[in-house]
Amino acid sequence: MASFITQVGSGGEDWLETGSENSHSKLYLQAYHGMPHKGDPPRRNMKDLYAIGLLLRKEFLLELRTGAAIAGITLYVVSTLFVVYEMFVRIQPSVWNTLFWIVFLFVSVNALVKSFVREKGDRALYYYHLLNPSHVLLAKIGYNMLLMFVLGLLIWGLFIFFGDNPVREPGLFSGVIFLGSVGFSVVFTFLASMTALGNQSATLLAVLSFPLVIPMILLLVKISAHALGLLRDTAIGGDIAVLVAIELLCGGLALILFPILWKS
Amino acid sequence: MIAKGRLWKIAGVILLIYVILAGMLVPLKPGIEEVSPSSGKSGEMLHLEVTGYNVHFLQEASSLRAWLKWPDGRALRASGVQVLSDRQVRLDFSIPSQLPEGPEVQAVTLLVDHPSDGTAVLPTAIFLTQEEGGENLDTGVWEKPANFSKGPFFTFPYRNILAETVRNTYFHVPLWFGMMFLFLAAVIHSVRHLRSGGRHSDQKAVAYTLTGILFGVLGLLTGAVWAKHTWGAYWSWDIKQNMTAVALLIYVAYFILRASVDDPDRKGRVGAAYGIFAFSTLIPLLYVIPRLTDSLHPGSGGNPAFGSQDLDHTMRLVFYPAIIGWTLLGFWMASLWYRYLNLREKVEDFS
Repeated sequence: MASFITQVGSGGEDWLETGSENSHSKLYLQAYHGMPHKGDPPRRNMKDLYAIGLLLRKEFLLELRTGAAIAGITLYVVSTLFVVYEMFVRIQPSVWNTLFWIVFLFVSVNALVKSFVREKGDRALYYYHLLNPSHVLLAKIGYNMLLMFVLGLLIWGLFIFFGDNPVREPGLFSGVIFLGSVGFSVVFTFLASMTALGNQSATLLAVLSFPLVIPMILLLVKISAHALGLLRDTAIGGDIAVLVAIELLCGGLALILFPILWKS
Repeated sequence: MIAKGRLWKIAGVILLIYVILAGMLVPLKPGIEEVSPSSGKSGEMLHLEVTGYNVHFLQEASSLRAWLKWPDGRALRASGVQVLSDRQVRLDFSIPSQLPEGPEVQAVTLLVDHPSDGTAVLPTAIFLTQEEGGENLDTGVWEKPANFSKGPFFTFPYRNILAETVRNTYFHVPLWFGMMFLFLAAVIHSVRHLRSGGRHSDQKAVAYTLTGILFGVLGLLTGAVWAKHTWGAYWSWDIKQNMTAVALLIYVAYFILRASVDDPDRKGRVGAAYGIFAFSTLIPLLYVIPRLTDSLHPGSGGNPAFGSQDLDHTMRLVFYPAIIGWTLLGFWMASLWYRYLNLREKVEDFS
C-alpha cells in the first residue's frame, strides 16, 4: 500500500494513471499469457490468482487516486444516517434492524452502480483484447465486496455514534454484514455490467436488482435479528446455508454469463 | 420448440373445453356446513342441529345414519334421527358417562351417511369433555361404521373452508405450472441465443417470457380471488403472495432492461443473460424462501403441500388435463407472439 500512496503524492494524476496502467498490463500479460506449461493445474491456479490480484490492485489504485468516489459515498452514508436520526430520534431494535439493511441496500446501489463506468469505449476494447473476462469480474466483485464490507461497518459505526448499539452479538453481526456485502456485490456488479451502457444506469440498476436481492435481504434481516437478540430461533444455520447457496448460485451464473456479455 | 402442425393446438383447446365444463359442472360431494352446539359432556344426551350442503335429506329420510367417530376408529351411532328440512337434520346422541381413553377434551368427527347422496364428513365437529365420576364402562355402545353408501360417482370432494372454490384448482394451480414451463422454454431459448446468436431464438425467448408473465398475472389474480374466499382478503401480505409479486417484478424489469439498450444485438445478449439470471433467482424466491417462514398457502410454513389428501381421484381426472391444456394454450399464444415479432421485424427491415 505504501508504495502507491507515495506515487499518488508525487506526480500528476493523468500521467500516473496511464503509466501504472501500462506497467500493470505488462505484469498481467506476463501472468496470463506467459504460462510455460498449459496443462499444469496448480501453477495455472496461481497465475489466475496473481492476475486477479493485479486487477484488484489496479481497482484500489484508481479508487484511491481519484478519491472523490470514496469521499462521495462516505458522505452519502453520513448524511443518510443523519437524516434517519433526525427523523426517528430513538430507534427500537426491530426498526433499527430494518433501517440498517435499507441504508445498506441504497448505499450498495449508489456505490456499485459505477463499477463499469470506466470500462467504456476504447478502454473496453483495450481490456477486451488484454484480459480474461472472468478475472475482470472476480476482481471487480472482490473490490466491491471489500468496499461494501467497510461501508457496512461504517454504517454500523455511525448508527452507534448517533444513537445506541442494539447489537448483542457483534461477531455474528459482522458476519452478516460480510455475507450481505458478498451477495450484494455479486448481484450489483453483474447487473452494473449490463446497465453501464444505458443512460439512466442508476435507476435501471435499482429496478433490475431490488427484486433480485429481496430473497437475500429477507434472509439477512432474519439472521441479523438473531444478532440483535430479537429472535430466539435455533434454525439460524439453515438460514445461513440457504443464503450462502443463493450467493453461490448468483456468483456461478455471473461467472458463466459475464464473459458472453463482455464479448458484445 | 414451437412445433409445427395443428394437432397440439386442437388437443390443447379440447382439453381446456373439457376442463372448464367438467370443472364447473361436476357437483361436490355432500358436506356438513354447520353443527350446533359444538361441544358436549360425557353422560348427557346431546342434541345436534346439522345443516348440510348438497344434501337431500327428505329423500329416503328413514335410512339416514350418523356417527360421532373417535380418532381410534370406534364410533357412537346416533340414537335418534329427525329430518327437519331437505338440508337440516336433528341428531340425538346419548354420550356414555365414560369416554374412551384420551385427553380430557376430545375432538370427534361427525359422519352423516345418506343412501343416495353419499357420506358427509366434518372433522373436529364436536368437542367432548370427560366429566368426573364416570366409571361404568358402556362397552356395548361402540361400533365400527360400515356399509357407507357410495353416492354419485363423478363428484369433487367437499372441504369446509373451500366449498365450491375447490374448482379454482383447475385454473390457479395449472396457470402456475404453465408459467413455469413457459419461463423454462424462455431460458432454453436464451441459452440458445447466447450460444449461437440469431434473431429467432431471441424473439422466441421474448414471446415465451411475455406469455409467462401473462400466466403469472392470471395465476396471481385467480389466487387473490381464492384468497378472498378462504383467507378473507384479496391480499393478506402472505409470504407466497409477496414473493410471487416480486417474481413478476423481476420479469417486468426484463422488458425495461431490453428497452434501455438500443443496439439490437446487444439487446438480445443482455436480455438473454438477464433472463437466465432471473429464472435462477425465481427458484429460491418461489420454492425456498416461502418454506422458511409461516404462510397461509398450502405447501409452506408447515401447511401440507398439494398431496394425496387434497386431490382425490376425480379431481386428478380434471387436474392433469388442466395442466396440459393450459400449458399448450400458453405455447400457442407464445408462438403467435413470436410470429408477430418476426413479421414486425421483416416489415421494419423492408420499409
